[in-house]
Order: sequence, then structure tokens, then C-alpha cells
Amino acid sequence: MNKVRKTLPAAIYHIVVCFFGFVMIFPLVWMIMSSFKPTNTIFTTASQLIPETWELQNYVNGWKGFADISFGVFFGNSLFIATVATLGTVLSSSMVAFGFARCRFRGRGLLFVAMLLSMMLPAQVLMIPQYLWYQKLSWIGTYMPMIAPYFFAIQGFFIYLMVNFINGLPKELDEAAKIDGCSYAGIYAKIILPLTVPALITAGIFSFMWRWDDFLSALLYVNKSVMYPVSLALKLFCDPGSTSDFGAMFAMATLSIIPSVLIFIFLQRYLVEGISTSGLKG
Amino acid sequence: MSKESTAGVIFSLPFIIGLIAFILVPMGMSLYYSFCDYNIISEPVFVGLDNYKKLFTGDEIFLTSLGITFRFALISVPLRLFFALAVAMILLKKTRMTGFYRATYYLPSIIGGSVAVSILWKRLFASDGVLNLLISGLGEPFTYSWLGNTSTAIWVLIILSVWQFGSSMLIFLASLKQIPTSLYEAAKVDGASRASQFCKITFPLLTPTLFFNLVMQTINGFLAFTQCYIITQGKPMNSTLFYTVYMYQQSFEYYHTGYGAAMAWVMLALIAMITWLLFGTKKFWVYDGGL
Amino acid sequence: MKKGIVTLLVLVLSLSLCITAIAQESTEPINLTVAWWGSQTRADVTQAALKLYASENENVVFDGQFFAFADYWNKLATAAAGHTMPDVIQMDYKYLSQYVSNGLLADLTPYIEDGTLDVSGVDQSVLDSGKVGDGLYALCIGINAPSLIYNKTLLDANGIAIKDNMSMEEFVALCREVYEKTGYKTNICYNNGTTWAEFQMRAKGIVLFQEDKLGGTQEDLEEIFSIYEQGIKEGWHVEPSVFAEVSIGQPEQEPLVYGSTPASMSWCAFYYSNNMTALQNAAPEGVELGITTWPSDEPQKANFLKPAMFFAVTVDSKAPEAAAKFLNYWTNSVECNKTLVGERGVPVSAAVAAEIKDSMSAVNQTVVNYINNVVTPNCSVINPPVPSAASEVYQLIYQLQEKVCYGAITAQEAAAELFEQGNAIMAGK
Repeated sequence: MNKVRKTLPAAIYHIVVCFFGFVMIFPLVWMIMSSFKPTNTIFTTASQLIPETWELQNYVNGWKGFADISFGVFFGNSLFIATVATLGTVLSSSMVAFGFARCRFRGRGLLFVAMLLSMMLPAQVLMIPQYLWYQKLSWIGTYMPMIAPYFFAIQGFFIYLMVNFINGLPKELDEAAKIDGCSYAGIYAKIILPLTVPALITAGIFSFMWRWDDFLSALLYVNKSVMYPVSLALKLFCDPGSTSDFGAMFAMATLSIIPSVLIFIFLQRYLVEGISTSGLKG
Repeated sequence: MSKESTAGVIFSLPFIIGLIAFILVPMGMSLYYSFCDYNIISEPVFVGLDNYKKLFTGDEIFLTSLGITFRFALISVPLRLFFALAVAMILLKKTRMTGFYRATYYLPSIIGGSVAVSILWKRLFASDGVLNLLISGLGEPFTYSWLGNTSTAIWVLIILSVWQFGSSMLIFLASLKQIPTSLYEAAKVDGASRASQFCKITFPLLTPTLFFNLVMQTINGFLAFTQCYIITQGKPMNSTLFYTVYMYQQSFEYYHTGYGAAMAWVMLALIAMITWLLFGTKKFWVYDGGL
Repeated sequence: MKKGIVTLLVLVLSLSLCITAIAQESTEPINLTVAWWGSQTRADVTQAALKLYASENENVVFDGQFFAFADYWNKLATAAAGHTMPDVIQMDYKYLSQYVSNGLLADLTPYIEDGTLDVSGVDQSVLDSGKVGDGLYALCIGINAPSLIYNKTLLDANGIAIKDNMSMEEFVALCREVYEKTGYKTNICYNNGTTWAEFQMRAKGIVLFQEDKLGGTQEDLEEIFSIYEQGIKEGWHVEPSVFAEVSIGQPEQEPLVYGSTPASMSWCAFYYSNNMTALQNAAPEGVELGITTWPSDEPQKANFLKPAMFFAVTVDSKAPEAAAKFLNYWTNSVECNKTLVGERGVPVSAAVAAEIKDSMSAVNQTVVNYINNVVTPNCSVINPPVPSAASEVYQLIYQLQEKVCYGAITAQEAAAELFEQGNAIMAGK
């Protein structure tokens, strides 16, 4: 009886979570299943989830890529861009957030407002000005526009996110450290950085995913096909007006989300185990 | 300068440089374009306030798209936040499956706005699509065209937006982890129920994050682009035309790039006003004291 | 003796240095960037052609860039703003005058005059399609014609025969007959390009997009919409809601080949001839497609040959002469065009077209026959390139078509709105 009372709610919990979970990922399952269908039957059998015949041909075709460049190259490019840009974003944003959250200085309010405003202009109108500007810097045709700016905390979202987290940490910790003769750099490195790991992880997951999906910058700034990232290469599978290989597109789209999924699964455990709590006790 | 302000400036230095080098320059250029007759491929010609005048006097679609965007944001943002918070709370429970569940609920946000999503979403809501098949399973054959009707098409986009609540959820999760367990332990000693624990500890301590998500999602809601661009392109009869998509059409399809820039700056002003209002409400409901 | 050897050595050395210097000079690589839009198939054949050329001209190094159509024009416009365009670009008729009037394309006339570019095998009217003013700014690389592509299998099974150059009345009767016999509806180019509207006006001798206004009176324009009004009212035109669920212009999702019920499908599609292959590939197994002209009461006035695609050399090119030489190869080399398999349309040089015909696929051969034997003898010159304001009018026509099909306005009201707003847009107000 006692056992039932304990396991029943747990069972209900799992059933409910699983059910809604299935609804959530159903479209994805559909995509993955479609990638195993023969390419000319994808649309005609769209309402049928399980393929009649399982085929790997789409993956073979897709992986071949184009112009003698295999999809592996595009994956490598994306991995490089996303990883480096993410490191830059997380590090720089965390620093700036510490400055914003823990130090009072003249112009802080102004910077904060500028940061918010920078997020309010639709990205599409900045395409042309950014291009012209990066061209002045001789960055066109290189990965620079897709990497370098991120080392300067240009995404206000991440600064704001981390400011928010740092504000959630008790000020007493800093004060105590200051009394012990710790410098600001010391407080940042020894106290704030370790305590904001969940925020850093969250930011890392987002940033990686966004850089990985970033299609527009790749379109504008990259010229040589060998340098294409996955996001740009994927678009080439489906051009209206000429025959498109939807099978290969679905296959590569399926593969292309794997890195982001792995990063998420690998990093999300830090959001469960929680490093912060131990430091805050007492 | 005091030690504190020196440290503040030094720590903020990356952003100060980034702001000047990578944000202000392009933003300034686009502001200048908004006062120009500019079509990308020829030199901009200064025309003063012409673009703005035309926006407010001679453009019906501008108003239509603005209305649609407001509606979209006002519905999808609260829904997204609600689901994000609810699911984050539910998935806080530690079980062997937690990692798997979180991934499941976060996955839709990973696939973003790719071509795959656009095809998939259209197939889900097609008149012979998956949703209608399910409804038909309940009885009568059902072939309503969700995307083909002016009253329902926008909902297809709203659902897509709500479906991708993962990023807010993740932020909630991270910030739930930040709440010291000692507080809960103390509450337990006092014999507080789980409901009152939520009301007295969890929710108040979560309000800064809720506020953050609210501001961010509101900005994103008004700047929403992908859902409309990849699925409806404004069809049917402009009933789903987002502001940014109309702006994009003006800039890159009709090559009225100056006009598009003016639209962008009007949007910026609107969002700034709304954000300012939100910040004004902050003192009434956002918990803001150290621990 | 020793001295002699040293002198000899020095001589040999300096000579060899000289030779390497000369050799280096002559093989200094010329970098040519070629950009186009299109599918993977096109990318594969184009890259193969570039490779072929590079193997014959060792000093040329190619960089081929390709994108989906909409992305291509975004990228190109941005690059134009920064004056970093590729050397050779694929051009569309729609954008030609815009790029020329902004001085972004190089005039090819000098290269024709000095013999770098041999166009003697190209029909004058085809060549002229790349002209703007006095200059030749783009070289046509394939010919197309408007084509009604239809489900031959379906019509044959129901004993319905198709003839070329149908009149409008015959066409409408046919739509009704097909609908009654099979339940299949008709899609008249819904929201897919405005060539159909221009085509209808051509039959009346009107050029729709003129310098700063729309051609024709309001009454003339009404014809653009009345066919939809009639089709929806009589039930034989595909419902507009069907199009909200597909990507218009994607051959795989064209109602001709895609749909779960006859009511959501069409027996025909209004396309260009070079889309025949894509549509046939997308068609369900066992369905054979046929090709004929778009219906018109004045076929000779309305029909035209369209340059399917152009190549143009940009003013940003550092090696325009090498680019022109490459275009010459593209136009006149049989080997090159064998590699390209007519993917961009029928080759412009008659000699080359005849030479490669046998190596083309059956579908492409049908297309060549259609163009040579059906359209060419019975057509007139294509409209001049449209001014840039036209793209906004396109969108307006789409929206009006949509409103008419949803029954929100009548064809007459649509015509009035098009006449008023369209003219205002063209006048730049």
C-alpha cells in the first residue's frame, strides 16, 4: 500500500511528462523518419510517420555535399566557428556583466541602455551597414565577421543574462572578500565566476546553437564553398525553381542538429547538480 | 577615479570597444539610410523625413503589419513564458530521466527556423495534414485549412513560437538552481507546505529572471521574423504579415532600403517605449534585495 | 678553364632564372569567381564545366559560388554595394536593367568587336535580349519559352486531346471538361510570377511594365483577374487555401504533381520550358507530362522566347577579358555544353544545340522540339527588361489575385486597384 502511494504519483508524473514530451518532439520524429524515406515519396507520404522502406540513400547523397566538398567539411567549419565564437561571447559577456553588476562607475547606466537598445533594431536592416563596415576592415571572405565581434560582448542578451545572475548572488560574499584584501579581479575569478557556472553554461548552450544556425552572416561574408558552414550548405538542397533533394536535406538537417543536442545533453547536467548551492550555504 | 570605477571601466571595456566598433557604426549608418532614398546598389540620396512621412500617411500595409505583430507578441510572449516556467518547475524534480526529459522539451528550440521546420509545420497543419487526421480519427472526416483561412493562419505561427519555449525554460532552470537550498530547509523546519514554499521562496526569488525573460521575449516577439518568413510570407491576404517581414520585403525585394531602415527605427522606438514601461513596473513586483 | 666553367655556370643560371621568370609571368594565375543560383544538379554540371575549362586553360583558377535564388540576390546586392561582386554572375532578365542603370555590369561589345567573344552562331534577337540601350551587358546562355505543362497520362486516360496554341475559350472549356470528368482542377499560375499577366497583355499588343507606368487601360487589366473569378465561381480553379499549404514555385509541391485529392490538384501548370525536367522528376510514378503553349487568342503576339539565364561580367572584375574569354567558351564549346546537358535551357548557339541534342535526356529533347518547332515559328520579341519598381507591382498583383480568389473583391475592383496603385508605384510615388 505504502509502496503504491509512493510509486503511483511518480508513475503519473512520468506518464504525463512523456506524453507531452512526445507531442513536443513529434515534429522532429517526423523529420527524422522522413530522412529515411525515398526522396520522391517524402511529400506524397507525409502523413505517414514510419517509412515503408528504410533507406540510407539520403544520407549517402547528402553527405557527398556539392562540388566535391563533403558535408564533413561543412560540419568542421561550423564546429570551428560556433566553438570559437561561443568561447568569446561567454568570456567577454561574463566580464562585462561583472563590471555592470558589481562596480558603480560613471556611464554605467548609459552603457546599460545602449546595450538594451542594441537589441531592439531588427537584425535585417543591419545587414548592409555591417557588410560595408566589415569590408572596410577587409574581413569579407574570412570568418572574422562571424567570430571577432563576439569577443567584444556585442550580444546584449548575454550580458543582461549574466548581470541578472550576478545580482542574484549575495553582496556579502564580495564584501567579505574585499575585507580580506581581494582585488576586483580576484573577486571575479574566485567568487563570481565559479558561482555563475549555471549562467555560463546556459549562455554557452544558446550561443553555440545560435552561431551554429546563423545563416545570414555566412551567406554574406563567406565566399568560397570550402568555407561554408552547415547552415548555408543546407539551404542549397532546396532551391525553388529547380529540382530539390528534400531527402538529402532532411538527412543533413537531422545530422546538423546532433552537435547542438550533444552539447545540450553534455552541459545540462551542470544545471542539475548545481555548483552554486554549496557555496551559498550558511 | 576610485578603485571601483576603474575596475568597472576595465571590466566593461570589451563591451565599450564592441559597442563603438561593431554596434554604433552600423546602427548609425542605418539611421542615416532611414533619411535617404537608397536602393543598396546605388549611392544613398538624402531626402529628409520623406520615408517617415510616407510611413505614417500613405502606407496601409505598415499599419496592418504593425497590428499583426502586436497581436502576435501579446499572445505568444505570455504563453511562451507560462510554458517555460511551468515545464522548468516540473523538470526540476530529480529523476534518472530528468536529463532526457529536458532534452526532449528543449529540442524543438534547437532546430530553430530551418527549411525543415517550415515544411514540417505546413504538413502538420495542412488540410490533409497530421492534425486534421487526428481530428478525423474522432469521427467525421475533417479537412479544415488552418493556413488557408485568415482567422486561423496567425495561430499556426503562434503555436510554432510557443512550441519553441526552450530557451526561456533553460534560463528558468538555471536560475531555479541558484536558489539556496538552505532557504527550503529552513521553510521545511517551519512546516511550510510546498505551495507556500513556492509562493514565499521560489516565486519571489524567480521574479528577476521572470522579468529578464519578459523583457527579452517581448523584444524578440516584436522582432519576430522567421515564423512568418519561412511559413506564410504573410499569406493569406496579409493576415500573417509580420512587421519585420514587411520591412524585409521593402528593403530587399522592392529595394526601398531607406524606407526599410525608417521602418526599423520606428520599431526600435516602439520597443524602447514598451521596454521602458516594463522597467517602470519593475518596482511593483520584482524582488530586488540581496539574500 | 676554371673561369670558363664559372662563366658558363653563371650564364646557365641566369638564363634559367630568366626562363622561370618568364614562365612564371605567363602562368600567373587568373582568379575568376563565377556565381549562380540553382540546384545541386546545376551546381554539379556547372562545376564540371568550370573544371573542364580550367584543365584547358591552366592559368585560370575558378571559384564557383552558388546559392538559392532569393539568397543569391541578397548576396549580390550587398556585394554590389561594397563593390566586391564576383567576376562572372548569372543574371536574370528581371534584374538586368536595374544592374545596368547603376553601372554594375561591363559592356561586352568591345570583346565581341575584338573577337574574344564569338557570337556569330547566336540568333540576333536572342543576343539583343541582353542589350540595354546601346550596350550588350549580358550574354544569354539558354533559351526558354512559357509552357503549359500538363498531366498527359490523366488526359489520355479520359480521352481528352490537347492541341498547341489553344484559344482562351478552348482552354476554359477544357478546364471545365477536365473538372467534370476527373475532378482535377486548374492552377493558372497563381501567385507564381507575373509573366502570365504580361503574356495576356502581350496578346493585346500591350507591354505591361513600361518606363514609369503600367500599359493598358483599367478595362485591359481586368482580364488579368477575371479568369480567376470565373474559375473559382465555376469551381474548376484550385482553391486559394491550397496554396497556403505549399511553397509556391517549388516543383515538388506544384499542384500538378502534388496533392492528396483531385480537388487540391491541377491538371496543368504554367511554367517555363526549362522546369519540365524538375516537374517530371517530381511527378508520381507512371505520370507522363506533356508540354504545350499557354492559351491565347493571339498566340503569335503573346508567345515569346525568353533568355533563360544570362551571364554578365561585373565592373568589379579584375580580369574582364579572361571572363569574356570564358563566356566565349561557354557559348561555343560543344564539350562544355555536353557537360551542361542543357540544364539552363537550350544552348544559344544553333550549331552547339544541334550538336548536343542527341546526348540530352528524352525530356530535354521534347523541350528542344517544343521550342524549335512550336514556339519559334509562332512568336514575337520579348518585352524589354522591367524597371525596378515592377517587383513591387508583382506583389500587388499577387495580393489582388489572392483577394479575388478568396472572394474579397471582384475582378473589376482588383483591376481598378491595380490601375491606380500600380501606376503610382511605377511612377515612383
